[in-house]
Amino acid sequence: MSDPSHIRNFSIIAHIDHGKSTLADRILELTHTVADRDMKEQVLDSMDIERERGITIKAQAVRVMYEADDGQTYQLNLIDTPGHVDFTYEVSRSLQACEGVLLVVDAAQGVEAQTVANAMMATNADLEIIPVINKIDLPAADPERVRHEIEEGLTIPADDAVLASGKTGEGVCEALEAVVKRVPPPVGDPDAPLSALIFDSYFDTYRGVVALIRIVDGEVRKNMKIRLMATGVVTDVEEVGVRRPANMPVDALTVGEVGYLVTGLKDPALVKVGDTVTPAKHGATEPLPGYRDVKPMVYTGLFPIDGDQYPDLRDALDKLKLNDPALIFEPENSHALGFGFRVGFLGLLHMEVVKERLEREFDLDLLATAPSVAYRVTRTDGEVLEIHSPQDMPDPGHIDHVEEPYLTAQVIVPPDYVGAVMELAEGRRATFKNMQYLSKTTVDMHYEIPLSELIMDFFDQLKSRTKGYASLDYEFLGYRRGDLVKLDILLAGKPVDALSFIVHKDKAYARGKVLTEKLREIIPRQMFEVPIQAAIGGRILARETVRAKRKDVLAKCYGGDITRKRKLLEKQKKGKKRMKSVGNVEVPQEAFMAILKVDD
Amino acid sequence: MDETVLPGAGSHDELSAAALPAHLYIHVPFCSSKCSYCDFFSITDVSDERIEPVRRGLDDQIARWAELGLPGMIETMYIGGGTPTVLTTRLVELLRIAFDAFDRSDRAEVTVEANPDSLTSLLVESLAEAGATRISLGVQSFDARELALLGRAHTVDDALIGCEAVRMAGMDLSVDLMCGIPGQSVDTWLESLEQVLTTGARHVSVYPLTLEEGTPLQSACSEGRLRAPDPDLTATLMRIAEECLQSAGLRRYEVANYAVPGHESRHNLAYWTSRQYIGIGPSAHGMLDVPTAIAAGVLDPEQAADASRVRYSEADDLDEWLAGAGGEVELLSAAEAAREDVMLELRLTRGTTIAQVERANLMPVMEDLESLGLIERGGTGEQTRFRTTSRGWLLGNEVFSRVWAGV
Repeated sequence: MSDPSHIRNFSIIAHIDHGKSTLADRILELTHTVADRDMKEQVLDSMDIERERGITIKAQAVRVMYEADDGQTYQLNLIDTPGHVDFTYEVSRSLQACEGVLLVVDAAQGVEAQTVANAMMATNADLEIIPVINKIDLPAADPERVRHEIEEGLTIPADDAVLASGKTGEGVCEALEAVVKRVPPPVGDPDAPLSALIFDSYFDTYRGVVALIRIVDGEVRKNMKIRLMATGVVTDVEEVGVRRPANMPVDALTVGEVGYLVTGLKDPALVKVGDTVTPAKHGATEPLPGYRDVKPMVYTGLFPIDGDQYPDLRDALDKLKLNDPALIFEPENSHALGFGFRVGFLGLLHMEVVKERLEREFDLDLLATAPSVAYRVTRTDGEVLEIHSPQDMPDPGHIDHVEEPYLTAQVIVPPDYVGAVMELAEGRRATFKNMQYLSKTTVDMHYEIPLSELIMDFFDQLKSRTKGYASLDYEFLGYRRGDLVKLDILLAGKPVDALSFIVHKDKAYARGKVLTEKLREIIPRQMFEVPIQAAIGGRILARETVRAKRKDVLAKCYGGDITRKRKLLEKQKKGKKRMKSVGNVEVPQEAFMAILKVDD
Repeated sequence: MDETVLPGAGSHDELSAAALPAHLYIHVPFCSSKCSYCDFFSITDVSDERIEPVRRGLDDQIARWAELGLPGMIETMYIGGGTPTVLTTRLVELLRIAFDAFDRSDRAEVTVEANPDSLTSLLVESLAEAGATRISLGVQSFDARELALLGRAHTVDDALIGCEAVRMAGMDLSVDLMCGIPGQSVDTWLESLEQVLTTGARHVSVYPLTLEEGTPLQSACSEGRLRAPDPDLTATLMRIAEECLQSAGLRRYEVANYAVPGHESRHNLAYWTSRQYIGIGPSAHGMLDVPTAIAAGVLDPEQAADASRVRYSEADDLDEWLAGAGGEVELLSAAEAAREDVMLELRLTRGTTIAQVERANLMPVMEDLESLGLIERGGTGEQTRFRTTSRGWLLGNEVFSRVWAGV
């Protein structure tokens, strides 16, 4: 059994791109956990997409052994948390497995929205916070300003903040020393029944679901019969071990330790992040606090461009779900796009990542419709429906009222751009709550905003209007009533289900007008004139026309080269295949996402 | 695609004379300069050292085909390019060699493609004397600014002088014109059309400019240095050409070709009516039926299984061609050949027959095209013909690609 006094469990938290993963890499190097020859950039980000985008999607945990200045060797468990707001719940669970955090702040960028959000989460979890001012090698680094921002804005003492550079390795040792000295060792009762927190899980093709756990009380061994308290599932422990970062089996995991547990279960839905592991008999009476079911908030239709790929898409979604239980999907049938799936995501990034993985790892060509949120519709007969797709919206005559999800959004921005943010927020039905200066150069603004507005290109707009300075964080607030209507788009007189969307009544006209204009640019000229209309019920709000094409003929045929002629025709035809035939109108894929590009 | 075996291998004992190809294309891959819109294979080095091996290569090829007894009696022959006239006196020699090697009918049409900058009256006379009957002159425009923009090496005067020389030599004259040139207007186009009618040309080809990837003209347009041709204006110009030329007695007989009746290009008609033709020279194309292709050594009998038509090309790399390497061979099934027949015949004003359409299993496609107003039918019963409409000419790609795809 490891002596808890020589265990430190900590996490690194940071705003995206502040250098969290690089710092983690340096820690693995410094402690010789990963041989130099195996050192890939950002070892903990194991998915290609994570490494390319520089984001962490899944939580990871790795054990390193560190010989401290006091001459003693410590077991440090580094829990790398997801770096994006879509995965806030995962972050909060990861933090529950720690006693302290390294709060990494970019020495040039300073405190940003997720710095604040993450620091608040760490404070609420009662964790020791060690500020690390990172990237001090940058020419634009201004550690003093950042130190000030941390103290003023986050009210975290930063006198002894570690100055570090993940790039050069400077300060990494000091950071580990600070972890050993300042992060409290885990406290737990070794004689109590096992109580362990699941802070992540993944699916192994050969072994089934593997849970990453933190032991709070007691111990877990191979062959033990355990129960997962939230789902009530009972199973046998097939193996326990630690990750260094490859799996290394051990006899037992004891109080304060972090490791993995092979559950022997084949259904990932049964092993939920935040659940408590306890012995099947005479187990803990109370689960560890803070568990909740994660619910997707953003929905989109995913359709194979080639209808024959529908079964492949279903298989691919099934496979992805094994490692991503937050992903949900149900079959959806669109008149315009054929058979596909309505897929639910935690947020926009989650959606992008899933779509990219489906296309890349499963070689699928997909068309995604504009994302929608989960609306709550109360019918006149009192029945309450949850609507994930505009198509499912009942007839207006049957609707008593509609509620939509709201968020509290936090924007951190230099004072010069406060006006720009206000203007954007104003156009997005956001309610201003308050703002405060974190320092002379950073303002923290709070809004309440409908999620549906936030998923409409809000982040890109925010970035472009603030020249990239603004950062954003948000949290689910609750459902609120709204005057919402379904706007239909008609092509050549026929409504196209995949183009309809739900919008606030006050914005319906403006959105309809801009969208029809946008579609006129996107839809190529066809054999006929194609009217594009936006309508609520039967009432037309806006109309544009794509004129019929007059000329489409190839030039001279040289020396009887018929083959070349035919090949050009085939190439042209192939280009058309990338489009969807809606009725007799050829619609390019980007049309289905055009609503997202509607700039207010 | 398989490599061709150059002619010389097979035998045509079993081929009947009637089935032998009667059309010959000889490709001369040289140009004095490269036009700004052209992405075709051509060589601008016209030094003796460069030309001579090609000339010898063409001679050898002619001799090899002649040994095979192919083509049969020549009905049409076309020397195209490139710019054959850059060969000057060698071109006359080439004609003589071909005539010596092959039989040709008394009424054979022998066309030489020419550009005004390299067509002297002396050369025209020599060609006529050697047996050429027709000159296809690449004028493209009678507007000086447009000629410069196209990178043509000739002036408006060169063109007019060239036309005059052809007429004086008593040969049939065909003139190529291009519409959709950046900056071209209805006025400059009318000017070109009026000029062409003064030249005595009894055949005019009108092509819309296509911006080919990688050409200087295409990059100028994509970089915004030139305004790309407006498709609507080009459509209008094509309509104007139709009206202008038809009222002057040049009847449209093909999507891009107009002629005084009796002066249609029989060689081009052979392409559109799926006659066999032999192509000789770097990057030249030919089309043969399966027995002929086997006899010519273009096709290995073992590969012939389901083929009903063979299209082949010679190597389009000069060094490879000189080294005797083959080009590409494309095999078409009976169904594909039938669809191709309809596709090609719809380029002609006389259109195609219901029998052809049924053979190609294209009735549903034709009905769709009819409902779109792109083709129309005339006649009844077995006499029914399908013809491309005026709207169909402008949207030719829609017609041809649907027919070829069969859906």
